[in-house]
Amino acid sequence: MSELRQAARIARTSALYEVLQPGRLAGAGAQLALQIFLTWCLWRALYDAVAASSGLDQGQAVSYAVLATLYGRLRGPDRDVAGDTVRQHIWSGSIVYWYLRPITPRRYHWLRAVGDQAYGLAWAAVTYAVCRALGLVGAPASAEAGALFGLTLLLGQIVLYYLLALVDVACFWTLRNFGVLAIVRLASSLFAGAIVPLWFFPGWFQAISSWLPFESSLHVPLSLYVGRIAPADAGRYVLVQAIWIVLLAVALRLAWRRADQQIVVQGG
Amino acid sequence: MGELAIEAVGLRKVFHSTSRRPGFAGALRSLVAPQRVTTVAVDDVSFGVPPGELLALLGPNGAGKSTTIKMLSGVLVPSGGRARVAGHVPHLDRQANARRIGAVFGQRTQLWWDLPALESFAMLRDIFKVDEAAYRRRLDELAGLLELSGFWQQRPRQMSLGQRVRCDLAAALLHDPPIIFLDEPTIGMDAVVKEQVREFIRYQTAERGRTIILTTHDMAEVSRLASRVVLINEGRVVYDGGLAELQKEYGSGWKVRVTFARDAVPSGLPGLVGTVGAEHLFAGTDPVAQRHLLRALLDRDDVEDLQAHGDDLEDIMAAVYRKRAAADR
Repeated sequence: MSELRQAARIARTSALYEVLQPGRLAGAGAQLALQIFLTWCLWRALYDAVAASSGLDQGQAVSYAVLATLYGRLRGPDRDVAGDTVRQHIWSGSIVYWYLRPITPRRYHWLRAVGDQAYGLAWAAVTYAVCRALGLVGAPASAEAGALFGLTLLLGQIVLYYLLALVDVACFWTLRNFGVLAIVRLASSLFAGAIVPLWFFPGWFQAISSWLPFESSLHVPLSLYVGRIAPADAGRYVLVQAIWIVLLAVALRLAWRRADQQIVVQGG
Repeated sequence: MGELAIEAVGLRKVFHSTSRRPGFAGALRSLVAPQRVTTVAVDDVSFGVPPGELLALLGPNGAGKSTTIKMLSGVLVPSGGRARVAGHVPHLDRQANARRIGAVFGQRTQLWWDLPALESFAMLRDIFKVDEAAYRRRLDELAGLLELSGFWQQRPRQMSLGQRVRCDLAAALLHDPPIIFLDEPTIGMDAVVKEQVREFIRYQTAERGRTIILTTHDMAEVSRLASRVVLINEGRVVYDGGLAELQKEYGSGWKVRVTFARDAVPSGLPGLVGTVGAEHLFAGTDPVAQRHLLRALLDRDDVEDLQAHGDDLEDIMAAVYRKRAAADR
């Protein structure tokens, strides 16, 4: 029981940052609503002149784009504002306290990520329901497509967690991760199809992205949702996601082990 | 002597880093062929602390005090030597070690910066799995000693330094650790809060029997709280012993400054070494002579002002470093 209580308490930290500050909560809601509205307007306008492009009709493209906007909220609140990123703790030296608690830094970091994700998911689920009610997002292509969307979305988020966690742990060596983080953020948006669906890119770009871990976080689940990838073809994508999860999990474990051994605390 | 609460034997910590050459060309060269730099922060440090003692770990900036504390608290892995805290090697089982120790690093907070302090306390209660009744009891006691209830609903980002460090002290003791590491806990505080924190630290050893290692640059704090000091310089222990013995061995003696009403030194008073304006300076090394002088002065009715000085601990520390440096040459 106390294990569960400990896990729940740690997991809800970032959510508390927003919930305890109504201004921040309202700002996040207003920002998301505006983003969705503008995205919806943009993609409807783009499809005014054509019925279909790159295998996506207007309904599919608009649903994809609006869901991609919701996806941005899935990762939970921005911890930078709260001074609670790994980079900030390492830079200020307060990372020292992560090693003075009866929980490993790796587990603490993981619980925080799970909590952020659950909070983000709650936001995304409520907003999805509103978007569905308003007709901004269509229904999944089929029940099977909906189920595979859920599965691949989950696996994709695990892939993304490992990637971002590796960037965090890299701070133990680099002290700052602005550059790496900027690259990962751009790559995870571009190669995941969050900016523009990957179907609109040339074949060589799609070929590269199909072997990178980013595609599995967004492009695959959304393409399944809108019916651009048939459920019968989903096996290959799930396999690629599983391989990335295993590789990144091993890499993260090794990185944490090295970090725990060679931690250096800044400023004496 | 029974089992030590804290023991350092030949502790050593070496840091490796890369150094960048100056200028644009230097930066490019450093990218291709980085210069490796090795820094020995702590070198062969040994001492022990019995249960219930407060030990002051002193030294100039960069001497290795904080690095020593971080090795003893299990945060840093020693490059050599051995650390034992409550009979265990701290870095080998950090989780078990965390339950036995509390720590405050004065310039850094362990509170969640954007949550009210009470939320941070509740978080630590659950992380350390402290049962609710014990948590309530301890929080009440700590709130009373540190007067927390006036600001514990605030976020650390909104607190003054004194308020924040008092919350940090409470956070470090919520799980009732027998051993505490305090790294410059009163740095930057005003005199009133400093006094409150000192009294809190004194209470923790005297009444609660906790073992404490304290680093500080405040010599009044050392005189007030510690009976034993370890001086570190350039990563090495240069003195380990009682504060009184330190003063006796390295002190320069006593001084008494007197201003007489008629601006003349009465004859028969021992130890006069100089006069600056109306002020007369008496000095010596024999404490008995100082007592005789003070008694004689207090019996007189022409003394307008009298100031008696012992050794300033900062001067004594400087004397230790000088003598050790001379001995090493």
